[in-house]
Amino acid sequence: MSHSTPPSGLKMGIPIPNSKLGLWLFLGTEIMFFTAFIGSYIVLRIGSPQWPTDTADTHISIIAGGVNTFVLILSSYFVVLAHEAMAKKNFPQARRFLIWTMSLAFVFLGIKSYEYYGKISHDILPSHIAETPGQAINKVDRELEAVVRERFKVYTDDQLIDVAEAADLSNVNAQLDIFSTSPEKQQQYPALTETAKADVRLYAEWQNLHQHIVADVSLLKVPAAAGPGYAQARAALADGASLPPLEYGEVVAKVNELKSDEQFGAAVRSGVFDPHPVLYGNLFASIYFLMTGFHAIHVIVGMILFVVPLMQGSNLDGRYTDWVENSGLYWHFVDLVWIFLFPLLYIA
Amino acid sequence: MAHDDHSAHHVNYAAVFVALCVFTGLSVVFDLLSFDNHLITIVLVLAVAVAKALCVMMFFMHLKFEGNWKFVLLAPTTILAIGLPLALLPDIGVAYYTSTAPQVEEWGTEFAEYKAQHNHEVPAAEAH
Repeated sequence: MSHSTPPSGLKMGIPIPNSKLGLWLFLGTEIMFFTAFIGSYIVLRIGSPQWPTDTADTHISIIAGGVNTFVLILSSYFVVLAHEAMAKKNFPQARRFLIWTMSLAFVFLGIKSYEYYGKISHDILPSHIAETPGQAINKVDRELEAVVRERFKVYTDDQLIDVAEAADLSNVNAQLDIFSTSPEKQQQYPALTETAKADVRLYAEWQNLHQHIVADVSLLKVPAAAGPGYAQARAALADGASLPPLEYGEVVAKVNELKSDEQFGAAVRSGVFDPHPVLYGNLFASIYFLMTGFHAIHVIVGMILFVVPLMQGSNLDGRYTDWVENSGLYWHFVDLVWIFLFPLLYIA
Repeated sequence: MAHDDHSAHHVNYAAVFVALCVFTGLSVVFDLLSFDNHLITIVLVLAVAVAKALCVMMFFMHLKFEGNWKFVLLAPTTILAIGLPLALLPDIGVAYYTSTAPQVEEWGTEFAEYKAQHNHEVPAAEAH
């Protein structure tokens, strides 16, 4: 450090410790790091009219964000008090303030995890969000297929039925009736008799929905979207006429109906999200997780910086004054970033 | 040591902390007021954020009491930080993204209709 060199009449450089200068230079790069994200967000947001701001779409909790802002401000306040106590050589007090700061950092991450859980439980994740009714319908189709596949695993994984290619759902489905027709199987797997019946029904529901989606014909007005009846209906159409198209509302109603089924409702509820198209939802989710994620990483790094003086226990002394000041400066910067992220992501 | 210098400045940190809390409350109030023009909310909450940032930088980070080196160090980064969005804005923000996004094409004119219906079903206040 500068003061360890022999005294000279000339004073060179900036009148602050090298560590502090280094930290400020680092903070300069950090400012550019975060403003690159914030700047890109502002630009993309301006370029995307009808950006999702409704909390019903984004599942943003302004209260949680506001509380977290308060938590970070309070922790910043405690850091500054810790530094002041270090400068006054009141080390036990400095330690107490650092412990408070650490605790508040944990609270911040706890609230952040709760918010992330809220997003994940609604599938607000980059590339997962349907942005149009058409995409929402396709998403329901894929998720319902996954539910059927999961339910069929019971029979194929334990090789209860003879399936050469378990990946072929129609093949599995065709064999499920043995649980109701074969007395031997009924005796062997009594519980599966009812489950198999329900799963055949679920498969039929998914197939029906899938065929209507592929053919893009109304679920209610066109009874079947495959088979000879459907071919006849199509053939009977006048030139240029078409069957009524599939409507988004019909799919929503069907999903709700399947979710309330007594037998497979629970599986559908856990596997199929409520269809909810959000225009620019994926861009929003990417930006939200990128910015808050990098901020959370900075919070964790700050906590590691505070662990070092805290690990000294009652031996904390003047050697750590610069460390506490520098990690404090870093912590204020983390607070500063959140001060901008809160209005930009939660309110604007 | 050099960094002991600013310990001589007596800052009422508690007052700064209270001011920051009041500013945070103000942001939430501006959101709850929900002005007809959302741009007003955006400008107000960002103005509050700038005020908060200045409080933290000047008093918590002691920049108010530091020497002129702070300008040498922070001016270039600030210019670059402001320059980036300004440089990207004409291309991506204004000209390119609006008309060609496929999901917007697919919605056509139905988006506003859907939103009106959806907002009616799920009032924003209940969404939390």
